[in-house]
Amino acid sequence: MNHDINVKKMRINCFRQSKVPGEFMLQMRVPGGMVAAKYLENVKYIADTWGDGNFHFGTRQTFDIPGIKYADIPAVNKYLEDYIKEVDEELCAVDMDIVAGEKQEWNRESGYPTIGARNITGCIGNHHCICANINTYELARKIEPIIFPSHYHIKINISGCPNDCNKAHLADFGIIGVSKIDYHPERCIGCGACARACEHGATRVLSLNEATGKIEKDPCCCVGCGECVRACPTSAWTRREKPLYRVILGGRTGRQTPRTGKMFLNWASEEVILAVLGNWQKFSAWVMDYKPEYLHGGHLIDRAGYKKFKEIILDGVELNPECLVAEDIFWHETEYRSNFNVKPMELHHTAGPVK
Amino acid sequence: MGFQMTWENAQTVFDKLAETYQIYAPKRHVNAGRYSEVDTIQYDRVSRMDEIVWQVKSDYPAKEVLTPIQQAIFYFTEDEYRASKVSEKPILIFARPCDIAAQKVQEKIYLTNGGYEDIYYKRMLDRVKFALMECNGGDDTCFCVSMNTNKTDNYALAFKFSEDGILVKVADESFGTYFDGVAGSDYEPEFVEKNQLEVTIPDLSDPKVRQALKNHPMWDEYNARCISCGSCTVACSTCTCFTTRDIIYGDNPEVGERRRVTASCQIAGFDQMAQQKEFRSTAAARMRYKMMHKFHDYKARFEDSHMCVGCGRCTHRCPEFISISATLNKMNQAVLEIKESLNQGGDK
Repeated sequence: MNHDINVKKMRINCFRQSKVPGEFMLQMRVPGGMVAAKYLENVKYIADTWGDGNFHFGTRQTFDIPGIKYADIPAVNKYLEDYIKEVDEELCAVDMDIVAGEKQEWNRESGYPTIGARNITGCIGNHHCICANINTYELARKIEPIIFPSHYHIKINISGCPNDCNKAHLADFGIIGVSKIDYHPERCIGCGACARACEHGATRVLSLNEATGKIEKDPCCCVGCGECVRACPTSAWTRREKPLYRVILGGRTGRQTPRTGKMFLNWASEEVILAVLGNWQKFSAWVMDYKPEYLHGGHLIDRAGYKKFKEIILDGVELNPECLVAEDIFWHETEYRSNFNVKPMELHHTAGPVK
Repeated sequence: MGFQMTWENAQTVFDKLAETYQIYAPKRHVNAGRYSEVDTIQYDRVSRMDEIVWQVKSDYPAKEVLTPIQQAIFYFTEDEYRASKVSEKPILIFARPCDIAAQKVQEKIYLTNGGYEDIYYKRMLDRVKFALMECNGGDDTCFCVSMNTNKTDNYALAFKFSEDGILVKVADESFGTYFDGVAGSDYEPEFVEKNQLEVTIPDLSDPKVRQALKNHPMWDEYNARCISCGSCTVACSTCTCFTTRDIIYGDNPEVGERRRVTASCQIAGFDQMAQQKEFRSTAAARMRYKMMHKFHDYKARFEDSHMCVGCGRCTHRCPEFISISATLNKMNQAVLEIKESLNQGGDK
């Protein structure tokens, strides 16, 4: 076999180095984890023709096809043209000739132009789920053209409701669909089902006032899950027409300092989410002095500090009236090595343009 | 007397009707459903003909117009009280035959049960006229034909809606003037003759059979399936149960109002008495009570009909997919078994 392979170039092209020399695993983007089932035929064809016949559900909801020989990669890329065109260009309206805001013509037969492994993931959302507040894959498809293709990376997980099955708490930018809920006391029969549902499955913000037979709510701690709506036999609780979003920032796994994310935005509109993500490239580029590295979201926020992140990411964003923003965020990391951050000055990372 | 209208001239007729009548009809409530991006169809005041949802059955019944979920019945101050008031304006309700049939059951309960006439119900009923909406067949939870509620002549007007326009029959001639200048037609409403679902009502005339059915294991599954939420009875076209509640204004216990609020025999505590005793303390017992009441006890007492019009809303609204028609079928099966066993001299 050819032992002269630029594996970094292969990685950018969405082919991951295997432990078997000369073999690679293709990772196909599936924004929001939802595409037409017909594409499974493409996956099968690639796996049977060029791969080892297996298929793996990528941990970030990519279609992963291992065992592809280096020599076959051009043929696979040529075959991928229709998939990339139909899923990214057509379904998500991605301009494949723009990479991180810069014009860079896409050779249609050359496969993915930048790393796609940081796929936007989503739970099934309200396409199916009785708990979900939002359509997760429609949001993913709106975000896709903002963050892809790009050499700057961000891991985005979208969950349809605060139960967070899709682990927004472990992503750089976790999005959770929430609802502002209206109460219609004239339809309330005082059965208390909502209060029990809230106590059992949410934050215990509802209580039945025995004197009035109506429900009282502590709106401060409501997580916007909608369990009260689901429990109500009379439609006395209803979701407002437009769903809103919570953003959980800076969660991650990893060998160094895994941590769950913390709340950055609450009750943000879709417009706000898209505008904030529109500033993502700008923030990443600033932190890395305009020289992209294989680093994603949370690490960049660590380097810049939350307040600098907030300044750049909210630049020009018009917040909807309900939207709340974290003044500060204090993450709690698992330090595998105590005092992990205490080290010689020359080992410290820098952020921002080098003067 | 019949007419045919385009949607445009229907609005002109509607506006004239609205000068005299408060018009209630099934109306779309966007996003009000149990799950996100799902609407509900509920009875509400409508101000335009095209607000009336005629394409599908409403999630909630027409009874909410006459007996809202919550209603102030009187206000009190120290030793005085006065009854609540309702608008003098008469009411026109757009309703399918099942909802109109259900009104007869409600009348029975509110106006005759216990030899007492409920003034709060009576004053509403006296103002109500029905505009029949010809039913386009309902859905897969309906069984009006089995319950003999598919046909009615209790209407002042009858409407057949379609995308292309509206056909009207004027049965109550006092409504003729609203249609001046509208093109004539010989429209007569048609009624659903067959539903997808057919049910048979078990014969429970023998008290021994009833007693055996009461203790039959068929009810046990509802302990595991029914969550006792009451969605079925709230959505029921005929259920009338309510409770009363005194609301005290502020910190003065001598000023306030008495309300009545819908209650449900399916919700725990419905039949709680002194010392917290309940007659029916399990979901299975409550389900059995509801079914026996709907399909035996009511008719045994009032004779003319069962307390179910087959509208299927209880099935439609149940979050646990408990079907009243399937439950009836299970009752039939159980009654067959019981009768066989009794005939064989078994002691059940």
